[in-house]
Amino acid sequence: MRDVYIVGVGMHPWGKFENKIFTQLGEVAVAEALKDADITWDKIGAIMSGILIYGGNAGHLSGQYIESVFGETGVPVVNVYNACATGSAAIRMAHNSIAAGETDTALAVGVDISPKGFLTAKSKDPKADRDVLRWQMAGMPNPVYWALECRKRFEKYGDTEDVLADIKVQLSQYGSKNPNARYKKIYTREQVLGSVMVCDPLRLFEICATSDGAAAVILSSDPKTIARANKPVRIAATTMGSAIYGDPTIRISALSAPSKAEAPLLSESYSASQQAYEKAGIGPEDIDILELPDNSSWHYLQYLETCGFCGEGQAAKMFSDGLTKIGGKVAVNPSGGFSSFGEAIGAQAIWQVVEASNQLRGRCGERQVKDAQVAMAQTYGLMGNSGTTILTI
Amino acid sequence: MGNVATAKRKVPALPDLFEWAEDGLRMQSAKCSSCNTYFFPAAHAQHRPECSREGVEKVLLSNKGTLATYTIQHYMCPPPFKTLGDITPYGLAMVEFPEGISVAGLIVESDLEALKIGLEMETVSYTVSHDEEGNDVITWAFRVVK
Repeated sequence: MRDVYIVGVGMHPWGKFENKIFTQLGEVAVAEALKDADITWDKIGAIMSGILIYGGNAGHLSGQYIESVFGETGVPVVNVYNACATGSAAIRMAHNSIAAGETDTALAVGVDISPKGFLTAKSKDPKADRDVLRWQMAGMPNPVYWALECRKRFEKYGDTEDVLADIKVQLSQYGSKNPNARYKKIYTREQVLGSVMVCDPLRLFEICATSDGAAAVILSSDPKTIARANKPVRIAATTMGSAIYGDPTIRISALSAPSKAEAPLLSESYSASQQAYEKAGIGPEDIDILELPDNSSWHYLQYLETCGFCGEGQAAKMFSDGLTKIGGKVAVNPSGGFSSFGEAIGAQAIWQVVEASNQLRGRCGERQVKDAQVAMAQTYGLMGNSGTTILTI
Repeated sequence: MGNVATAKRKVPALPDLFEWAEDGLRMQSAKCSSCNTYFFPAAHAQHRPECSREGVEKVLLSNKGTLATYTIQHYMCPPPFKTLGDITPYGLAMVEFPEGISVAGLIVESDLEALKIGLEMETVSYTVSHDEEGNDVITWAFRVVK
């Protein structure tokens, strides 16, 4: 297996772009990545593209649509969907294709334009698609699942509403310094606690929005391409995990879970991160920057534990002690996180890698983590999907 | 509940999710006798790895369990959720059944302010709409045992 490097990254800022179509967002991200890598389109030997599930036939063939914008070259184009870990799958396939010697340089791209209003069931088949049942029979939007788990933490570890609010405060401070963020307002604890209760104990400002955005990463093992790149970033590991039997998490779209835990909570993310640590020979103690999937303040706490950055029940203390700040033991979401960006399902995992690699390349201005050598991007997708990417410079 | 005359006027919004028994509504599960795993919905198998998957039988869960966790939802869930009116705020629970499976569902006829993990809960029906013949169209729900 060959070493693979990130040689170029690009993104379209996150927001809501009602008058744009997904290829226009994707074009911006890919063009920026090509420019960053200082290579031409004909050097791209494979395209791994995140599926845009609300985009119909075009969305399911997003890679072909994006390829045609830059010019069709006959290279392999594969479209992939793994819920909010979709981009992890695209990066992993691009990486593995290069590492195995199939191609020298590949593009991983993800675009998302989320539907207006609430996300809801995508089929009408209650027999095959449990997702229909949870909406129709139980009235359970996504944040409910997070609130159910958050309540368990409150009971088990004594976590408080103040900690949930303080997480939003910290992320808003970082997001305010990120020109690509959708939300740049800085909040106080009182403002967060004053926001509307959505599903107790989670408030509006503690849950991420749904956004539109695009991100692209160009990977290569070609020595000439690596030499051209401005501070190439090595991929130490890029893995995916699925859930493990006996995981007690009430997973989004499911209506049941085992009562007795025989596997870790969020076992798909536990699995992805453990695989990455083993492959990279790098552990959480070595990581300077962590981009974790803060779909809600609950996720922020839980992922620190799931990925082994602290012991079970210790995340609130780790956060409150300032260990997850820029300048702390591990800078968590110096980008501002989903809290400042919102989710863009097919794009967000790639965006997290863009942010993490930008930090290692020293491009982050006011939110730059000093002397960062190792970064990790961790994703979470519903129904047992997760990816971990560890980067070094 | 359990009254035959009453039961006849209740129509499940979707089939195969719960049944009626002497002691009220019971969740329709399936149990694999090889790996001892319970499924809900019954058709969605979730076997233990290496299980032979032999001997899956439909079973009804107990009509009582304990509150494993809960939340109170403060805005109305969008369609396909349909109720007789705006029911916010409404409770949602994970109820742990003695069989070893926890099931999610609405909390009804209970004091939401007094919810506490560990409370005893029972399965009941909840009317979400009326059909053309005036029957109650129902889903499953949970109620704090008084």
